[in-house]
Amino acid sequence: MSTAVLTRLKEEYGAARAALPGSVIDAHRRSEAIETLCAQGLPTGREENWRYTNLRVLERARFTPAQASAEVLPTLPEPLTGFARYVFVAGRLRSLATAPHGVTVRSLLSGGPADGAWRIASELPEARLALLNEAFATDAACIEARPEADHAGIELVFLAAAGADSGASYPRVRLALGSGARLTVVERHIGVGEASSLVNSAVRVELGPNAHLTHYRLQQCAARTAWFDTLTAELAADARYDLLAVGTGALASRSTVHARLTGRAAQLTLSAAALGAAQQSQDMYALSEHLAARTSTVQTFRGIASDRSRVAFNGKIAVRAQAAGTDSRQSLRGLLAGAQAEIDLRPQLEIYTDEVRCSHGATAGKLDENMLFYLLSRGIAPELAQHLLKWAFLEDVVAKIELPQLRRQIEHGLAGQMSEAVALKELL
Amino acid sequence: MLTIENLHATVDGKEILKGLNLTVPEGEVHAVMGPNGSGKSTLAHVLAGRPGYAITAGTVRFKGRDLLALSPEERAREGLFLGFQYPVEIPGVNNVYLLKAAVNAARKHRGLAEVDAFEFLTLVRDKMRLMRMDESMLSRGVNEGFSGGEKKRNEILQMLVLEPSLAVLDETDSGLDIDALKVVASGVNTLRAPNRSLVLVTHYQRLLEHIVPDRVHVLVNGRIVRSGDRTLALELERRGYDWLIGEAA
Repeated sequence: MSTAVLTRLKEEYGAARAALPGSVIDAHRRSEAIETLCAQGLPTGREENWRYTNLRVLERARFTPAQASAEVLPTLPEPLTGFARYVFVAGRLRSLATAPHGVTVRSLLSGGPADGAWRIASELPEARLALLNEAFATDAACIEARPEADHAGIELVFLAAAGADSGASYPRVRLALGSGARLTVVERHIGVGEASSLVNSAVRVELGPNAHLTHYRLQQCAARTAWFDTLTAELAADARYDLLAVGTGALASRSTVHARLTGRAAQLTLSAAALGAAQQSQDMYALSEHLAARTSTVQTFRGIASDRSRVAFNGKIAVRAQAAGTDSRQSLRGLLAGAQAEIDLRPQLEIYTDEVRCSHGATAGKLDENMLFYLLSRGIAPELAQHLLKWAFLEDVVAKIELPQLRRQIEHGLAGQMSEAVALKELL
Repeated sequence: MLTIENLHATVDGKEILKGLNLTVPEGEVHAVMGPNGSGKSTLAHVLAGRPGYAITAGTVRFKGRDLLALSPEERAREGLFLGFQYPVEIPGVNNVYLLKAAVNAARKHRGLAEVDAFEFLTLVRDKMRLMRMDESMLSRGVNEGFSGGEKKRNEILQMLVLEPSLAVLDETDSGLDIDALKVVASGVNTLRAPNRSLVLVTHYQRLLEHIVPDRVHVLVNGRIVRSGDRTLALELERRGYDWLIGEAA
């Protein structure tokens, strides 16, 4: 990454800083963040865990936050029944809802007690783009679930409108669940506009003892968006974090997930599906760090690369010395659906203790010829047959979506031109 | 219904069918028998249009049309059905979904509207009862986790729902116990009709005790070397294939 970009980044920060809200993050921390980031440099393709990311888009990106203009909102997805919906435009909270029982949802921009002490970047170099968010954040959603929160639902919609100014947007979220709290969060990143723009999101998850968070993350950004995302999570004893991510949008997408299982018997399930088409790149790096005994991770990835796209998943399970009795499973599968497409799967295990059970499997291949012929021999059109098989391929992840309404929405999102298959599925 | 003349087919440059002639008139059930490696499955797959086979000579006419000019899906929509020897498992595509897509593809081809969802399910359930299949199989992935016998029943179920004009059943009896064989056979027999033809590709005579063929053909080394009525099958049962292999050589 050239120094020219860093110079420009500093200049843009210098010009924007006066207008950045201190209630979200104070000026001192912002400056610190930009300095740390510049010292470390932006990610480059020479770094092992950034190899498959399209980083060229960062070179061209404009970092200055976009204005929260009154541009026409796109049609938002149908609200989920029983969920309180919060809409953020260009990273700023636009619409308030009534939070469910036991849950507090606050926008740091709209005042209230300052709460900027939490950090998203970890010591992990892969998580350093969260510093960019820390420097430029225009708002932050602080969601706290108290122990009495019981199966409450929150929906966060982040809308990036890539307008003429092509400014960046900085979604920033903290999800903190108290002891025993139960919460479902649906987080959507959607976009409108033809201009290229940067979305840099940063999410912090803190789960207290025995808390259970079900977290759906949908990336459906506009076609020329660069989406760079960092999520760090900390799981206390017996906490359970079910994270399901589906990525279909953006030109270049990279998500870094760093989960630390610090409490005994904490459980993480990470299920991710990514679809790449045209020139898209979809990249995810997920590190699950086991720091306590009897912790578990189940990682499932299904990716399909069509046309000239690239889909990558790099999943690492690190079992530290104190994490005896860890159980981890990785199942990574990629489907090549284009002659010029690329799939990169990397399962990694790093184990510093005995007494662990870790299994992993990674396969990448093309559509099964036998399955395809079987469908054709039943009169199914080749296009539909291919869609069905791609559909079936994603099933391992899609089947984990427990909310029927959301599942239907995600299926529609995944379907795209698979609409015929979806219509059939719905009839039955 | 089906007229095959001088059919030559190769796989990876190796000739498997070497001038095969076979005519199956409308309304008739024909059995194609033969030893292992004689080309029985190749014949079934070539008829269904499976990729990987090169047709080097010959013609196949199906209901008066050039079958070989049609894609696999067009053949199916025209009313050709292949019952697979080894039905494929497709986890994630559910059975009823496939059945419906298949029925609608054929209906669209004939200029008909899509099938009514309720009537369709009623029909499928009726056929499932006939095949002694549990209804829960409908919502499962295609053949997913099915036993060998369940897969074969599922093939026949698909055939009953699709009502093809020509069904080619490739070793449908293999891997079936006697009870399953009877169920499969009775399913097939319900489909016998004056406007429909069946080709049973089989290694053994026992299927033909339950589905009585009008004609029996013996395929040896890529050619039909003998044809006769059902007594030919009994003769094969008694004498094996060796005497015909000797004649064909």
